[in-house]
Amino acid sequence: MTATLNPPKPIRVWLTPPGPNGWKTIFLLEELSLNYVFKSFRFDDVKKPPFIDINPNGRIPAIEDPNTGLTLWESGAINQYLIEQYDTEKRLTFDDVINRNLCNQFLQFQMSGQGPYYGQCGWFQHLHAEKIQSAIDRYSNEIKRVLGVLEIVLSKKGEHEQWLVGDKMTYADMAFVPWNSRLSEVLMQLWDEVFEGTPRVRAWHEKMVELPSWKRAMEHRARLMDEQGLQWNGVPKGIETFTEYEEKIEKGEMKYD
Amino acid sequence: MQRISQLASHLTKTHPKTFLRNFTSKMASNNSNIHLYTVGTPNGIKVSILLEELGLPYKVTPISFSKNEQKEPWFLEINPNGRIPALTDTLPDGTPINLFESGSIMQYLVDRYDTEHKVSYPRGSKEGYEVNNWLHWQMGGLGPMQGQANHFFRYAPEKIQYGIDRYQNETRRLYSVMERQLEKGDYLVGDRATIADFACWGWVAAHHWAGVSLDEFPKLEAWLHRLLERPGVEKGRHVPSPHTAFDMKNKSEEELEKEAEKSKAWVQAGMKADAKK
Ligand SMILES: N[C@@H](CCC(=O)N[C@@H](CS)C(=O)NCC(=O)O)C(=O)O
Ligand SMILES: N[C@@H](CCC(=O)N[C@@H](CS)C(=O)NCC(=O)O)C(=O)O
Repeated sequence: MTATLNPPKPIRVWLTPPGPNGWKTIFLLEELSLNYVFKSFRFDDVKKPPFIDINPNGRIPAIEDPNTGLTLWESGAINQYLIEQYDTEKRLTFDDVINRNLCNQFLQFQMSGQGPYYGQCGWFQHLHAEKIQSAIDRYSNEIKRVLGVLEIVLSKKGEHEQWLVGDKMTYADMAFVPWNSRLSEVLMQLWDEVFEGTPRVRAWHEKMVELPSWKRAMEHRARLMDEQGLQWNGVPKGIETFTEYEEKIEKGEMKYD
Repeated sequence: MQRISQLASHLTKTHPKTFLRNFTSKMASNNSNIHLYTVGTPNGIKVSILLEELGLPYKVTPISFSKNEQKEPWFLEINPNGRIPALTDTLPDGTPINLFESGSIMQYLVDRYDTEHKVSYPRGSKEGYEVNNWLHWQMGGLGPMQGQANHFFRYAPEKIQYGIDRYQNETRRLYSVMERQLEKGDYLVGDRATIADFACWGWVAAHHWAGVSLDEFPKLEAWLHRLLERPGVEKGRHVPSPHTAFDMKNKSEEELEKEAEKSKAWVQAGMKADAKK
């Protein structure tokens, strides 16, 4: 199960532990058993040096690959780089024109159709101080719509090819896992309610979270969250709300020993 | 039954509004048979700009949002996500390919047709990866966030000031990221305009519609006009209908409100339809 080309020097992965996007990259690195190290840091510092010098957009994840000298950010672009550079056996992708482009298409659907709307829903549901029901509804409905699109895609595939592209899991399938794992908290619904009407999506998702690579990624997450004393929603223990946390960051009141 | 016959008629006949572009120029080789399904929005014109830049012959089918054509079964066959743009083509060996997501469509087109790397870099090169980086930034950041600014500022059924501020501020922040990058050079990556620039262009051109000004972003504004001078951008922005983003600045708020009414109707109808499911 090893990639033919493992980078001799570890790839540095910059992330803040709570957000899902960093785990998209870690999941892939784990699944390909690639050599990497964490550069885990606090959310407080996401828009400050040294991170802002690595990613001018101030968002995690970002990678530095000392083997090629490349610095990249945007999880989708990072994962495609890792696949092209290191998945030389094409275990999690395809070589032919159609399937290669379809992987790219579904990755971009994840990047632009899943991530942003799940993120906005989570924000209005949990992090924003005031409850704005119409915004929560807008983004919850969009999430259900996206799940419905995925259900249609899977319903057109045979019983033994329940993957977005071709007959095996690819990096495009894997990219959906971190946000879909959060569905219960993002929608504030029980797991059964979340997947009402989308049984294929549920089965597809549940197959992937059983992988040892995903489990290892989540163990790392638990450890790194703990290291920073964070609650489940990414707010440090002892602080009530995200707004309060942001205000403290703003005022420079976040002090650590 | 009616749906099935509708679908069948679309697969056998051409859409009544379909038209041809660049068919007089030299035909692209290798079975090429590009067909773009689009609307003159920031995401739609990314692809027509690229096709014009590459001088490729292509068919265009304009989709009507007010008739909700993007959710019709024949269109969902091409794009189950029910959004424009979508593109079909034929590979050199004769197999058909259908693609959606503007970014992946652009990558497919340059991979296959931009063999001289006029608006791209070779796959696997450092610049190639950097273009991909900025393309993903547009797809996952600028597009969705400026889209939300449009929503709360122009289309939402009720006025929510927090929503307007949140997404206009994020759009402004994203513009400032581009501004900093453009301080280093004329284009987002390296020495040439690439698909990363084209992907962002329609969005930045529509800044006024989202209620964001370019006054604080001189490099970005210069970039906007630098690209506009390219014949390909100029032609592509008017497909399938005249590009009106720059006219918005000369309209009164009242006139803009009227413009928004047209889109409001189908956007809100779409939201209601999704809520019922
Ligand atoms: N990430 C997609 C976004 C496409 C998109 O948002 N398309 C809009 C027009 S700009 C659309 O078709 N909306 C129709 C609808 O939501 O019903 C892409 O870049 O292709
Ligand atoms: N169903 C859409 C209709 C409006 C729409 O499609 N807007 C496009 C812009 S024309 C958008 O926001 N696209 C997001 C993107 O490009 O990622 C909504 O409710 O937002």
